[in-house]
Amino acid sequence: MDNDRKLINVTIDGIEVSVPEGKTILEAAERLGIVIPRYCYHPALSAPAQCRMCLVEVEGAPKPLPSCVQQVQDGMVVSTDCAEARKARRGVIEFLLLNHPLDCPICDAAGQCMLQDYAHETGQLRRRAVEPTVVLGRDHVTSEIVYFADRCILCTRCVRFMEEIAEEPVLQVIQRGHKGYIDTMTDELFEHPFSMNIVDVCPVGALVNEDFLFKARSWDLDQTASICPGCSQGCNVLLGTKEQRVVRLKPRPNPEVNSHWMCDYGRREVVRWGAGIRAEVPMVRESDRLVAIDWSRALDALVEALSEASGGAKAIVSPGASNESLFTLRSLMERVGFEGGYFHVTTGSEQVLKGFPKLALREDRAANARGAELLGFERVDYVYGALLGHRGVVFVLEEALDGAPEDFGEGVELFIYIGSHLSPAAGKADIVLPCPIWAEMEGTFTNFEDRVQRFNQALRPPGLARPIWLSFSVALARLGAGEPFTSVAAAFGALAEELGVYSGLSYERIGLNGATTAAAGSAAAARR
Amino acid sequence: MAIGVKTVERPEVGASYLRATLKGMALTFKHLVRPITVSQQYPEEKYELSPRMRGTHRMAVHEDGRAKCVACGLCPTICPANCIKLIPAEDENGERYAAVYEIDEFRCIFCGYCQEVCPVEAIHLGVHYEAAEYSRERFVYDLERLCAQDHPYTQLWDPEDPASQ
Repeated sequence: MDNDRKLINVTIDGIEVSVPEGKTILEAAERLGIVIPRYCYHPALSAPAQCRMCLVEVEGAPKPLPSCVQQVQDGMVVSTDCAEARKARRGVIEFLLLNHPLDCPICDAAGQCMLQDYAHETGQLRRRAVEPTVVLGRDHVTSEIVYFADRCILCTRCVRFMEEIAEEPVLQVIQRGHKGYIDTMTDELFEHPFSMNIVDVCPVGALVNEDFLFKARSWDLDQTASICPGCSQGCNVLLGTKEQRVVRLKPRPNPEVNSHWMCDYGRREVVRWGAGIRAEVPMVRESDRLVAIDWSRALDALVEALSEASGGAKAIVSPGASNESLFTLRSLMERVGFEGGYFHVTTGSEQVLKGFPKLALREDRAANARGAELLGFERVDYVYGALLGHRGVVFVLEEALDGAPEDFGEGVELFIYIGSHLSPAAGKADIVLPCPIWAEMEGTFTNFEDRVQRFNQALRPPGLARPIWLSFSVALARLGAGEPFTSVAAAFGALAEELGVYSGLSYERIGLNGATTAAAGSAAAARR
Repeated sequence: MAIGVKTVERPEVGASYLRATLKGMALTFKHLVRPITVSQQYPEEKYELSPRMRGTHRMAVHEDGRAKCVACGLCPTICPANCIKLIPAEDENGERYAAVYEIDEFRCIFCGYCQEVCPVEAIHLGVHYEAAEYSRERFVYDLERLCAQDHPYTQLWDPEDPASQ
């Protein structure tokens, strides 16, 4: 769209830049890497220019202008860091700090707080006001979000999120001036499937997630770019991890998938994954019990058992397994004869974010159902039915086997269980291989619209658990099918080579923002 | 013969050591009647420590006995020896407090950064050095023990001359 507009030249802090007409000074400055301080401005929301933090000096203008709404004009000369602009900003910060408590040590936002940053950068050392501060207290706005009214700077980002993006204007600024605070008009708490985005947009620590409250300081968290595995939307997220645990998920901006948002379901559910007793060592059956052994002997046993197997292979897989895991599993199954792979997807009601309808909490509550389908696995309602009467080799990949029939795994030639957790049904397996959960490995998911997205490793897998694509590619090599993959990129490369849908894609090309398959890309172009 | 080897000439047989012995004994008797007290009679007598001596920690407490710590996490962040373990939690009033606060005095290098960084002046180093224990575990001071210490706080700087001029 930018291409249709006329380019005009402006000078910002002495650097000339050409930007399309209609851009604001703030956006133009961002192209130069100049970040103008802002509170009320958010790239995905409207700009009311009410915080007055982004004031800049424009040559010829009688007073500083708010850069978040002031559009650039040809030949404009802007100065973002001159004495005048700094003075204006210092004044704004002094006003904001009149009633803001200095409780950074106990505030959840410390370390990621824009008020803290800018006050440190341009504010003054001492408070000049002598009046006592107004104390307003705290309250819940939803059952999971706490609002600290004292810390609020009334930027109204949360109000505008609910109004413009959620299209459910439940939040309002109540009262005026120093008595102002954010609340619902009624006494009741509000519920919205995307409500926790107001915590993300809050530039200070006024809105905090109770689940995360006091758990970790923001500087203690390691951030990893990943994909939310909660549903088939595949929101781009940043995983915040601390001491081998996922503590929180924050949306990672991607205009093609989730913009700046993500749903509450993902944040709430996904942090609990990986809890419970994990499978940590490979095990093989010796007479009537499973014995823990090392990987090389486990792979020996696997290769030996598969080369002796006479019946074909069927599999139950998890729709949350990565493309590479499913691909290597399928390749391995093909060595003994692929007779079918099945998966079951847990579903829930679809929740669309009205102001950004591309994003929804999808019905399929699994990250890679589409990827499994493309790899030839079949979606069924009752996976155990599909395996009834099967007497050959059975693979189970990352599936918990809840509700499996009593005799599941009995009477088959070979039963191989690959899972992150030890399920009771795995007790009948001949070989049990431990694998990491999604946060402990890297790989790709294919979302509902055939967009392939990469997730990175954030945690160390427990014990001897190692990715399926790695262990299975070694087994494949032993069975005489090429070299083992040395990286997940190589595994995806082999997948793209074999499967036509992914042709033209490579692990590098997918990058951090993902890429659509050629077919999906042309379909989208046709719609346009 | 190797270079640098010196041959000592022995005194002749029959030389007397009597004079040297008497000289030494004279000094001994002098100290017997007029002793110079250099040795300190520890532990009956104790050394007077500087108020800036940095010894084992002490936690400041409120009047009701609660630790002043608000569990902000700055001391474990700044600690160069990584000896402070802190797990924050929420108390019944919704306030942040330290559910677990432990300092490993073995790992501590007594730099005083924790005291300097503390926003509520809760954790202090102390003017204290008698930390001997019978087991290694006892050197990990928990919150209760830190609060129970009663030695004076360390002064990280002279209040009359904070910039050390």
